[in-house]
Amino acid sequence: MSWETIDRTTVAEEKLGPGLSAAAREKIRTFFPRYPSKRAAMLPALHIAQDEIGYCSLRAMRDIAELLEVPPSAVMDVVTFYTQFWTHPRGKKVITVCRSLSCELMGGKEVLAALKEKLGIDEHQTTPDGKYSLVTEECLASCDHGPCMQINEKTHKCVRVEDLDRILSDPDNDKISMPRSDIFDAPQKT
Amino acid sequence: MPYERVLMQNVGVPNSTSLQVYKAAGGYQGLVKAFGMKPGEVVDLVRQSNLRGRGGAGFPAGVKWGFLPIDREITYLCVNADESEPPTFCNRITIEHDPHMLLEGILIAGYATGSTVAYIYMRGEFMEQFHVLQKALDEAYQAGYFGKNILGSGYDLECYIHRGAGAYVCGEETGLIESLEGKRGQPRIKPPFPAIEGAFHKPTVVNNVETLACLPHILTRGLDWWLSLGTEASKGPKMYCISGPVNRPGCYEAPLGITVRELIYGDDFGGGMRDGKKVKGVFPGGLSVGVLRGDIFPKPPDGQVDPAKGYDELDCILDFDDPRHYGLLGLGTAAAVVIPEDVDIRDVLLNVTRFYSHESCGQCTQCREGTNWIYRIARRIQSGAGRSYDLDLIAELTENMGMMPGLSICGLPDGAVYPIRTLVQKFRAEFERHIAAQTPDAVAKTIKAINPAAYELPIQEGRALAHVGGSMQEIGDRL
Amino acid sequence: MPKIIIDGKEVECRAGISVLQAALDAGWNIPHYCYHPGLKVVASCRLCLMEMKMPHPQTREPGWAPKLFPACQTPVRKGMEVRFDSDKVRENQKHVMEYYLLDHPLDCPVCDKAGECHLQDYSEQFGNATSRMVEDKHKNPKKDIGSHTLMYSDRCVLCTRCIRFCDEIAGTGELRKVNRGSRNEIDIFPGEPLENELQGNVVDLCPVGSLISKDFQYKQRVWMLNTARSVSPADSRGSTIWIDYNKQGVHRIRSRYNPQVNEWWISDEARFGWKYINSDKRLNTARIRRGVSWEAVGWEELPGILRDRFASADENATAAVLSPMMSCEEAWLLAKFIRQVAPRATLVRGYVPIEGEDKTFPKGFVIKAEKCPNRGGVEQIIAHFGGNSMDFDEFVKAAGAGRFKAAYVVGGYPKEWITEAHARAISKIEILVAHDLFPSLLDQHVAVQIPTASFAEREGSFVNCDGLLQPFERAISPLEGVKADGQFFHELAGEPGLFRAEKFRVSVAGELEMFAKVHVPPDEPKYAH
Ligand SMILES: Cc1cc2nc3c(=O)[nH]c(=O)nc-3n(C[C@H](O)[C@H](O)[C@H](O)COP(=O)(O)O)c2cc1C
Ligand code: SF4
Ligand code: SF4
Ligand code: FES
Ligand code: FES
Repeated sequence: MSWETIDRTTVAEEKLGPGLSAAAREKIRTFFPRYPSKRAAMLPALHIAQDEIGYCSLRAMRDIAELLEVPPSAVMDVVTFYTQFWTHPRGKKVITVCRSLSCELMGGKEVLAALKEKLGIDEHQTTPDGKYSLVTEECLASCDHGPCMQINEKTHKCVRVEDLDRILSDPDNDKISMPRSDIFDAPQKT
Repeated sequence: MPYERVLMQNVGVPNSTSLQVYKAAGGYQGLVKAFGMKPGEVVDLVRQSNLRGRGGAGFPAGVKWGFLPIDREITYLCVNADESEPPTFCNRITIEHDPHMLLEGILIAGYATGSTVAYIYMRGEFMEQFHVLQKALDEAYQAGYFGKNILGSGYDLECYIHRGAGAYVCGEETGLIESLEGKRGQPRIKPPFPAIEGAFHKPTVVNNVETLACLPHILTRGLDWWLSLGTEASKGPKMYCISGPVNRPGCYEAPLGITVRELIYGDDFGGGMRDGKKVKGVFPGGLSVGVLRGDIFPKPPDGQVDPAKGYDELDCILDFDDPRHYGLLGLGTAAAVVIPEDVDIRDVLLNVTRFYSHESCGQCTQCREGTNWIYRIARRIQSGAGRSYDLDLIAELTENMGMMPGLSICGLPDGAVYPIRTLVQKFRAEFERHIAAQTPDAVAKTIKAINPAAYELPIQEGRALAHVGGSMQEIGDRL
Repeated sequence: MPKIIIDGKEVECRAGISVLQAALDAGWNIPHYCYHPGLKVVASCRLCLMEMKMPHPQTREPGWAPKLFPACQTPVRKGMEVRFDSDKVRENQKHVMEYYLLDHPLDCPVCDKAGECHLQDYSEQFGNATSRMVEDKHKNPKKDIGSHTLMYSDRCVLCTRCIRFCDEIAGTGELRKVNRGSRNEIDIFPGEPLENELQGNVVDLCPVGSLISKDFQYKQRVWMLNTARSVSPADSRGSTIWIDYNKQGVHRIRSRYNPQVNEWWISDEARFGWKYINSDKRLNTARIRRGVSWEAVGWEELPGILRDRFASADENATAAVLSPMMSCEEAWLLAKFIRQVAPRATLVRGYVPIEGEDKTFPKGFVIKAEKCPNRGGVEQIIAHFGGNSMDFDEFVKAAGAGRFKAAYVVGGYPKEWITEAHARAISKIEILVAHDLFPSLLDQHVAVQIPTASFAEREGSFVNCDGLLQPFERAISPLEGVKADGQFFHELAGEPGLFRAEKFRVSVAGELEMFAKVHVPPDEPKYAH
């Protein structure tokens, strides 16, 4: 309501969330030689933070700001611009369903509806057991295999509603088939 | 004579991502050839080939490289692997199946432009592809293709993959550069163009993955081969994508200049519509170029092209020029999505408008407010509360958002208004049919419910959702 | 000076500026939000678009290009021709203004910016009276973002001036955009409020009612205010200011454009640090000590009393302390008076308050450590009058050693300035006249006490740290019981008629050169903001 004022000048301790580990900081520093400015390591740093913590917590943003020598607000600005960064905790696995035209024409809407029902959550929500979060995203560039969705790093293609039970019950549904490069950690170690 | 694939020569070959397989098929020979020439000669060769950018704008790569200042000290090469234009996936195919072809292209472009560092800006959603490309890059580094004194040529090039994090507008070249610099991906005002002042304030070349993947072939197969492919002003091969309910959705390589009809129905391409349905419409080059009428419309009298008349437009030739005759923006990414006859055009409009509203970076007023307003209108139309007036309004708004160049900083709203405007214009009759079929009080009821202020003051309290089902959090849920 | 053609009229302009600036300079009313001459160009509001003549790509024949160009981003070139007076341009302005109002809450009746809001003005001048939007409006909240500032997100036009100010001028970068597209908002990092020492400027900069000063909120409607051109006494920089006032007093202080000094900005100290002028502790009666008690005297009697008192003292043991809070005119008149009654009197440069060190911001804005406006002027006047002179520390020492029998001490500082040590030393002076703003430790030793008027109640001129003499106007009448210092010294020095600072400067310009070189900054173009 417009007569209410949100106080932004203070923040409760518990809203800050966890900070970066020494290892994550070290990992971020390995990106510095790649660019002529430290600030350019912003996106890698946020990926690293999100891989470690599960989301970009306020404290992690502050830590990154300190590492990259920018004001914390500059980190927040970037985090909120990109859709892949989360500012609150998410489930162990994030299901990202494509909602763009090709997938929609191939039945993406039905897949999304079925997922919502099976998981019992709506978009942007996380199952009570913390296992899955659900979001939609614009075209994932796998339109030839629509409808498609990603579970963490793994893209599932030509998903049919009747496949969902099998996919959801597969513990390795987020494992990719190619060898991983260790430049970034797998999402959500926790 | 069947066309011999070059850009996709290794697709389907076992282990095609490995250096060994790539080299066995003649890989990195283009680079060797380039190293035998002076950088300026490579630029000239590319200029003569009239290789036009495959990223959407179709700007000749050789000419772009020629804009670099002569007395520059540092040059950066940015590889645009932010493929986010729905429904485009040809860059993904290249990266996934033939990463070394891209790397060789990077080396040739880097050598020609004197770049010392190449950044591959890869969209964040490419996760599996990141690992494939990173592995290929590691392999190439190990074999001495990157780093210092490459193949004894004295040329040094470092190459890094920079992962994005979900923003279509970071595919725009200056948005990409801003994002690379660790900022929000807001396109920059031009001039200065990146060739003069780009990444980290240094001269920068931005090229699409496919543009670069063409380079090894121009060098190894020569100019004559290249110029023998394609149409008058559009030379070379192109990776065409087709998706939607066709029999063989996928990416197919052909010389520039096939028609949309071939792409949908050709046995080497889409293989016809699933279940024998007819085509209502098709976005032939990514959403942003606009829509063509399908074959549910009558065939035009021979040779007639007139987007104002309601004819079947599938004979549009997919090169850099012909789509303009059909009221489209251009070739775009040459990735077609087919709308079958039984899909409600209002759903298509909603999907398209939501995309641009979600992806506008929000700097320019026209783009930020216009895309979202149209999205909100489309939402209402789709919910069964449209007015004829809305269609006029949308047409008017698109006029002021991007039909005339120069209204905004980047090309996103241009890309937004073409599909929106062509949808509303070319399928107006269907929209009108739906509107006529609505219950008489649907409009009044809906408007009263969502914006009583439009009927009476004071303004409704409570926060509206900007994006129903957006991939960002709702407004109310803040940090 | 290149000449360009705007709407068919030839206009001469400064080289290197944008077409928008040239048009504004020449008196055109071109709508613009994101452009500000002191900040980087982002060309994102797209309101200033214009048509431009370009050579035809084939024929090279110059003609109106089919596209529109942002005037703020296009530098002037000799001979270029542009136009704003065209349907295409007006059409664009109309559409953009419509877009701005889509999600605007239309809460002008409760908005402090109303009356000086460029959303109101431009909507009226360039927009449409009605909105065609019937969709759900986005609602953004009101946010507390700093000790002086509130942010009404839903009134924001996202011009990013405030962000660029914090980045470029203050260098602290507290303000940022969050989210993207139509959900863009200006925000701070939670718990990292807008607390730089220039933050008040963002309220001036905001073209609409989005950033609101807590200090001024709900105090006055702007159309009820008059404004006076003044100079801030907060430090020796001499930042020029507007004093917005009415019958009830001063309501706010805003920055006044001054390209040679403070450009478009002022410090928060200058903006918010004036409240002492309304303090109820201020001295408000002229009075004379009679034994242990005070006796009020009328202002008209004072000159006579003072003349008598000083005349009775040894002229070698007489001093006048000229405070650097005084205007040049006042200092001159007091010096003149004291040398009339005691030709060998010592002229003392008053106490110069120093707080910390000069603070320089990235683009060169400086907050001076010297917290008084006119040391330069007072020093020049003392030098001009010649004879005995000393600075305040020497004066205190000499007074402590019993060197002075009579002294006229002027203060006028917003903060307490007399220490116990000062008071002990100065108390040795028998005939002590104190002319000050607030009670001080000197009071018990004072023979005559005179209240001084605040800067908003006086007119005159200050010489800033760079030696520029800048005049300032009176905004309000002095507190009841107080007389404007200029007028009082005028009478004291036996000058005839009313004191008018400007007339006075002209009359002494022949004697002291600094009075001849008055620096009056140019006004900003009428339609610039
Ligand atoms: C909104 C927008 C999005 C774009 N997205 C992409 C993209 O995802 N991939 C791409 O290669 N080019 C994209 N472009 C085109 C680039 O701006 C640029 O023209 C291209 O990278 C140049 O490379 P090329 O000359 O090799 O085509 C986009 C342009 C705009 C205006
Ligand atoms: S046109 Fe749209 S996407 Fe492009 S810079 Fe402007 S607001 Fe951003
Ligand atoms: S708050 Fe004011 S100055 Fe800041 S972006 Fe919004 S309108 Fe502009
Ligand atoms: S439309 Fe779903 S992946 Fe492209
Ligand atoms: S675009 Fe020129 S003033 Fe905003």
